[in-house]
Amino acid sequence: MIFSYSWLKDYVKNLPKPEKVAELLTRHSFEVGEVKKVKGDWTLDIDVLPNRASDCFSHWGVAREIVAITNLKFRGPTSTKFVRGRTSADSVSVEVKDRIACPRYTVKVLTDVRVGPSPKWLSERLEVCGLNSINNIVDVANYVMLETGQPLHAFDGKKLSGQKIIVRFAKKGEKITTLDGQKFNLDAGVLVIADAHDPIAIAGIKGGKFPEISKSTKVVILESANFNPQTIRRGSQKLNLKTDASIRFEHGLDPNLTESAINRAAQLIQELAGGQIAKGLIDVYPQKTYPKRIKLNLDYVESLLGVKIPEREMKNILKSLNFKFHESRTREIMVEIPTRRLDILIPEDLIEEIGRVYGYDKILSTFPIAALVPPRRNEEIFWEDMAKNILKEAGFTEVYNYSFIGDREVGIFNFKDSIELKNPISLEQRYLRPSLIPNLLKNVEKNSISFSEIKIFELGKIFRMPKSEEKILTGVITGDAFYQAKGLVDALLNKLGISDIWYDEYRTLAQEKAIAFWHPQKAAEIKVGQERVGFLGEISPRILNEFKIKSKIIYFDIFFEKLVRLASEEHEYRPLSKFPSAVRDLAVLVPRGTKVVEVLNKINAAGGKLVRDVDLFDIYEGEEMPEGKKNLAFHIVYQAEDRTLRAKEVDEIHQKIIKTLEKEPTWQVRK
Amino acid sequence: MTLKTLKIEAEKAIIGAQDLKGLNDVYKKYLGKEGELTRILRSLEKLPKAKRVKVGKETNNLKNVLTIKFDQRTQVLKEKAQQEAEEKEWIDVSAPGKRPVLGHLHPLTQVRRKIEEIFQTMGFAVVEGPEMETEWYHFDALNIPKNHPARDLWDTFYLRNGLLLRAQTSPVQIRYMEKNNPPLRIIAPGRCFRHEATDASHEHTFHQIEGLVVGRDISLANLKVVLESFMKRFFGEGVILRWQPSYFPFVEPGLELLMRCSVCQGKGCSTCGNSGWLEVIPCGMVHPNVFKAAGYNPKFWQGFAFGMGLDRLAMMKYKINDIRLFCSGDLRFLNQF
Repeated sequence: MIFSYSWLKDYVKNLPKPEKVAELLTRHSFEVGEVKKVKGDWTLDIDVLPNRASDCFSHWGVAREIVAITNLKFRGPTSTKFVRGRTSADSVSVEVKDRIACPRYTVKVLTDVRVGPSPKWLSERLEVCGLNSINNIVDVANYVMLETGQPLHAFDGKKLSGQKIIVRFAKKGEKITTLDGQKFNLDAGVLVIADAHDPIAIAGIKGGKFPEISKSTKVVILESANFNPQTIRRGSQKLNLKTDASIRFEHGLDPNLTESAINRAAQLIQELAGGQIAKGLIDVYPQKTYPKRIKLNLDYVESLLGVKIPEREMKNILKSLNFKFHESRTREIMVEIPTRRLDILIPEDLIEEIGRVYGYDKILSTFPIAALVPPRRNEEIFWEDMAKNILKEAGFTEVYNYSFIGDREVGIFNFKDSIELKNPISLEQRYLRPSLIPNLLKNVEKNSISFSEIKIFELGKIFRMPKSEEKILTGVITGDAFYQAKGLVDALLNKLGISDIWYDEYRTLAQEKAIAFWHPQKAAEIKVGQERVGFLGEISPRILNEFKIKSKIIYFDIFFEKLVRLASEEHEYRPLSKFPSAVRDLAVLVPRGTKVVEVLNKINAAGGKLVRDVDLFDIYEGEEMPEGKKNLAFHIVYQAEDRTLRAKEVDEIHQKIIKTLEKEPTWQVRK
Repeated sequence: MTLKTLKIEAEKAIIGAQDLKGLNDVYKKYLGKEGELTRILRSLEKLPKAKRVKVGKETNNLKNVLTIKFDQRTQVLKEKAQQEAEEKEWIDVSAPGKRPVLGHLHPLTQVRRKIEEIFQTMGFAVVEGPEMETEWYHFDALNIPKNHPARDLWDTFYLRNGLLLRAQTSPVQIRYMEKNNPPLRIIAPGRCFRHEATDASHEHTFHQIEGLVVGRDISLANLKVVLESFMKRFFGEGVILRWQPSYFPFVEPGLELLMRCSVCQGKGCSTCGNSGWLEVIPCGMVHPNVFKAAGYNPKFWQGFAFGMGLDRLAMMKYKINDIRLFCSGDLRFLNQF
């Protein structure tokens, strides 16, 4: 909010230079942005904190802050009253239908005014603060708002039907055209000011066109009211209309402010537009607001701030802020809070006042005295870090993607249980992602312009209806890399201390085939014991087509929370055998549909415990192979824990394995 | 030929040999099986006994001397041969090396780990909370009542399932306090969402780290030292800091920690909005209503809370000028970390 330096100077004697004022306010009250020279004045862009809007969306309020920080003196405007003629009540009557929505409604009437342009000093001050000059009446209302924080409104007294002001909620179907010519349809959620028949203003937000002040206006009805912040906020949201007035009312205002503001405005109008101020004030104020009192323990002040402040200094700070108090007991005072300080509700609020005026910089930074309790390790984060490191070592790059997907992805992937946003930014970000895969594929699509081989992963949350949220680890590799990905998953799980890993062929259901995002013939479930911990497979060509990706893509999708439960740091070293091992190779021709694991199982069963390791080093399905066959080649490592195996012994076991394999009619060991 | 002339001749030949092959010929000629010295020794038996002993001794002495000379020359020529061989080989050290294929961790992961490590050394535990939140944990429990303008400070995404996407990690404070007794020291990293248009410095998806310390007499002086220590560890001892009053509904008093802009050194630039300062850590003393909402008695407990934007800290640390890069998945960016 923009403030005028010269205006502040009116209220603070010996006000420091603009930069100094900015610095002081920033350190003790509110951050001051730009300080700018404008037409013989300076503007300060002050970021008044939202809880202080009630008293500091005004020059008085900011001046009072400066006074409290600098210990200078505050001087308010002097008031002289010329009251004559009729009473206000002769011109208009006020009825407030809802006392919660409108706790106070104050009216003052001026007669025989001469509407005209404002004097230069007035129009300039308004302009400096970003408001246009309209005429001397409207300008005074705005001026007093900027001065006191109380929004005011002026009606042409002759135009009110029935000489009545009624504060009520609008009726369905009522309409209003505002001062700037906008038309609004009203309903029962919007509070209005009405005359005997129609709404003449949207209460606390904007005046209506009909009773506006014009050149011919002679009788001015000034309104200075207090409205319920939530009522104004709802109305403002409903009509999508924010004004200088509505912003102030939304944050709440002191009901006791209406009277001083309206008197100030009447006096200024009389000075500038002549006329007479009618006697008396119409004041509907059924429940008066009195100052609150808060008990403040001075030891608590020191304990919360962590600094010893002399009692006198604390009291001086409170005094400088216009808080009255008396000692209720040793080291305890009863503080009376001025009603304009809506933000002060509890002792901690007062402690903040003392702390910030005293100066946070003056509070010495001190380490707390606390028990030396080692923090508990977060297992999930520990394993997350570990898993990410392993993937990084394997050459993968970590990506962070948005948690959103759009209609397009939902369609392509046929997601049924995505959670939809009520207020998405765009249709591309309309749902929460139920899988990390779509956005990873987008990454591949985008990066394939610059990179031929892509290995990326993401560890993040996925979301499913109705309210599920789950951590998932997903990676993709470009190319015909199924076995590379499988080996990677093995390595990852092993490093996380998980053994008993196996892969089960995933049987894609007939009804899934058309919509699956995976290749139905190339998909596996990753299992640990009997538990499924994820999937591994190739992305279906249909999906790749949609994403315009030319290479094949293998993905792995791991339920990370399950992994954390299975992971273990326990790791036992296996003694190195003192005895040499012997290696024999074995090649076997099998039908193409035969699984490697079937052959491995037979080798291990026949070989017994002297077979230390079986390593598949080649799968060949080339042209030279007989129709429908493939060649599997193994290194078999023989080793005993307690002796050196003799060549004869090794040959015997190896022959036994060969014989066992040859028992299968369709298998043929190649010699 | 006398032994004397033989000695002179042999020594000359040894010195004269220019390569190992030539030296080998010299060896054969004098010391080999058919060499001069061997021949002399073989012919000794023909001599009278007295002479035999004398000549034998002298010949053996000469053999030893020549063997030593020969070994020395061999060493010299070997070194020479090796040098000549090496000189023929050469490597262009300016040609590019072959890099192993390394993976990369996201810069936000790296910054997050660094922050976690600093706070863990100060005894903070790391906890996490859900990204979909209820209005209660996200607003009400944090002293932000319904229809309060303070709710406007958080432009929130709402979901059809009745939950919302958290716009701050602060709800984790409540969730943790509900389940744990004070004293406590925690940080809570996580992803947050804000309903706003994106540009180089605004992103609807960002990452925060929340902090909370609760104890019998935790004070604002403690808050200051913990955050100042953090900033010095993270940005280096030279970081220039400033404290300012601020307002957040869930703390009272509320403060903001600012650092001197590292891009312009405080002169004012586009990064710091010409102010020379960057707001880095909003913080304050836990509001009694927050303690009440979490089931703590505010009479007995004091504490402080803070929050920091990971993305902003990473941007300052690595001088990244566009926040949208973090979620771009662009490998040209990610491979730099």
